[in-house]
Amino acid sequence: MLKLRRAGKVQNPRAMKSPLLTLIIKRFHRGKTPQEWFETFQVEIRKGMNLLEALFRIQDEQDGTLSFRYSCRGAVCGSCAMRVNGKDVLACRTHVEDLLDKPTLIEPLPHFPVIRDLIVDLSTFFDHYRKIEPYLQGKLISSQEEYRMEEENRKEIDLYVNCILCGICFGTCPAFEMDREFLGPAILAKAFRFLVDPRDIRNEEILEAVNNQQGVWGCKTVFNCVRVCPKQVSPTRGIVKMRGKILRVRLSSLVSRRHQQSN
Amino acid sequence: MEILSHDILIIGGGLAGLRAAIEAKKAGRDVAILSKVHPLRSHSVAAQGGINAALGNALTPIKDTWENHAFDTIKGSDYLADQEAVEVMCREGIERVIEMEQWGTLFSRTEDGKMAQRPFGGAGFPRAAYAADRTGHNLLHTLYEQTIRLLIPVYEEWYALSLIVEEGECVGILALNFFEGTIIPIRAKAVILATGGYGRIYLRSTNAVINTGSGCFLAYMAGVPLEDMEFVQFHPTTLYGTNILITEGARGEGGYLVNANGERFMERYAPRLMELGPRDIVSRGTQTEIDQGRGFEGGYVHLDLRHLGGEKIIDRLPGIHQISLDFAGVDPILDPIPIQPAQHYSMGGIPTNVDGETPLAGLFAAGECACVSVHGANRLGGNSLLETLVFGARAGKKAVEKVETEKKIPRKEVFEEGLRTFQSQLEELFERKGEEPAFSIRDELKAMMTSHAGIFRTGSGLLAAKEEIRELKRRFLKIVPKQRGLAFNNEFIQYRELEGMLHLAEVIIEGALAREESRGSHYRVDYPDRDDVHWFHHTMAFKTAEGVKLDYKRVSITSYLPKERVY
Repeated sequence: MLKLRRAGKVQNPRAMKSPLLTLIIKRFHRGKTPQEWFETFQVEIRKGMNLLEALFRIQDEQDGTLSFRYSCRGAVCGSCAMRVNGKDVLACRTHVEDLLDKPTLIEPLPHFPVIRDLIVDLSTFFDHYRKIEPYLQGKLISSQEEYRMEEENRKEIDLYVNCILCGICFGTCPAFEMDREFLGPAILAKAFRFLVDPRDIRNEEILEAVNNQQGVWGCKTVFNCVRVCPKQVSPTRGIVKMRGKILRVRLSSLVSRRHQQSN
Repeated sequence: MEILSHDILIIGGGLAGLRAAIEAKKAGRDVAILSKVHPLRSHSVAAQGGINAALGNALTPIKDTWENHAFDTIKGSDYLADQEAVEVMCREGIERVIEMEQWGTLFSRTEDGKMAQRPFGGAGFPRAAYAADRTGHNLLHTLYEQTIRLLIPVYEEWYALSLIVEEGECVGILALNFFEGTIIPIRAKAVILATGGYGRIYLRSTNAVINTGSGCFLAYMAGVPLEDMEFVQFHPTTLYGTNILITEGARGEGGYLVNANGERFMERYAPRLMELGPRDIVSRGTQTEIDQGRGFEGGYVHLDLRHLGGEKIIDRLPGIHQISLDFAGVDPILDPIPIQPAQHYSMGGIPTNVDGETPLAGLFAAGECACVSVHGANRLGGNSLLETLVFGARAGKKAVEKVETEKKIPRKEVFEEGLRTFQSQLEELFERKGEEPAFSIRDELKAMMTSHAGIFRTGSGLLAAKEEIRELKRRFLKIVPKQRGLAFNNEFIQYRELEGMLHLAEVIIEGALAREESRGSHYRVDYPDRDDVHWFHHTMAFKTAEGVKLDYKRVSITSYLPKERVY
């Protein structure tokens, strides 16, 4: 059984070089005064431990009121997104061994309203998700057979399908920070996923839906989302490709209009 | 008192729950989903290797048929599966899988653009359709997308506290809105439980932290028996340290299991199928190697993928590649993956017929929390995803039929009574005296289950476990949550879930102790053979005031009499 010690009762972890993890957690509890505060916890770690496990240890043994989301603990469900030392990460995928140098600051994922402690309200995220009609709209075929697809097509879509909708890219996105109406990296990646899916009959509709400042033109192309994505999805790449497609459509309609005028 | 109302209420937003909801909504019914997590965070998302269906897309000398699939499943189940139910699953599975493709699931492809299929354990054909090694993720996102299209409402981050039963019929539930802390009765003409498994009662499990078996517990508390709970699947390849799943697809693609002496040890246990034997046999083989000192220090062996080459690993097993890097610091292209067996799946659960109906009228179940039974004593890899779709859809359809004929409107008082009972229990809980921390009981339970009700079981170990459970249940009564009120009350949730975990553990132990034979995943060292004369039947466990009472039910046979299982 791991022994846990409260802050203040132990020596400085750096001085004694023992495997003690110090977490400074930003708390939030509506209705309390103050409703926001920072609290320090210390957890004795074991080899291979991740941050989510450390949070469970605190919740079990030190403070049962500490609230955070969790489920799979294997970086596939997208529940435990949070900000750790200024970087947005999945807690389950963050090794505590990398956090021992100095106290670690844990905050909720930014740009979303906080509900309690590390739990944020992702309504905006899923509202934006719904806006792009995120479901395949294919042509009717017999219920007895699948659509045929080249493996090469699948690989192209797969880069975007791997998104787990954890919201981490929104936390780090300067465009979303400035404008909460900006569809956001994960959602634009989702739009691109359906755009490049040969089974989906939509083309102009999807491009139309993202052809605005809240869509692909709002992106600052700073690639923050690409850097932080825990699943190696590259929203910016999809965004830039959609911009290209929109420009080509504009150009071709311009050319055909000129052509008509000259006739 | 506020009462919410729906035609059909589904508890759980994983594959089975979402598929049931889609079926009901398409029939025009008012259906809602209630889930303690956002549906996309459900454990279905973690499924990796594939979903079985006899599509016959792989190039084989003879074409696969659903009958072949049924036979493999029945043999894999050590003949305990109900054969009629298996036939339904294997026949209808083909359509359910194609439907997922048409709804957008990004399946991997063959050269001619069809859904690719890979070999899986205990299967005579390459039958598992897959989306790289993220099949669960792809299927779950597809179904969730369909619920968005159909505008199906979800009570997100709500808990089901109890079933409301009136005159032998389930008429709704008591629900907890976790963020508000309010207890709200929800009336429904049909309730479908789709809450998944209970893996977290084991110390070592591939399951998500949320998998505490709450649906099985809800049914059990309402007087519904639980079927075949002693049949617990242990997956042979879970990542050493975290027990995160490493798909059977890794062996399907050609991976080797190797002990510390460098031997492909499956030669000793399944000489013909080797690494692709069924899970019960591969898990026992792997554990035997570790127990007999041919594993590595700490208790693991190697899953070696290196000979597959980097390209194939990145192409077919990208998720495994990433999981190994993220959680074990191992690159499977360069080094073998350290693995050990761990709890993975529950073959048992709430008994249902092929339409998801349980012994309690108005209550349905589908997916891992149900026991149809299509897996019998051992599930084949790739059949659990299939089960969620086939029986999720069937439960949804049958629930619609029930709603259309249901005339009765339950009395409001029955909900008021339910609420009063719950509130008085709650007051009692908060009035208690005691200082027992819930987590220590939970951790002791997990360790005890892994050591006494694990891959190898003995009568004496199970008897000791039975005693220990009694003691843990006594200590459970001394838990007092420090927080009052139910909003964000993690301690209260843990308390509730622990209660369920203790009961389910007790049912597993009692069933395992009584079953003096070895069949599928249930292996008794003191009774190493299958005994069809005495034990060819399902276990039914009832909750009584005196504890668990066991009864037995016959196995349905259509075509195949039990035979010795050789692989």
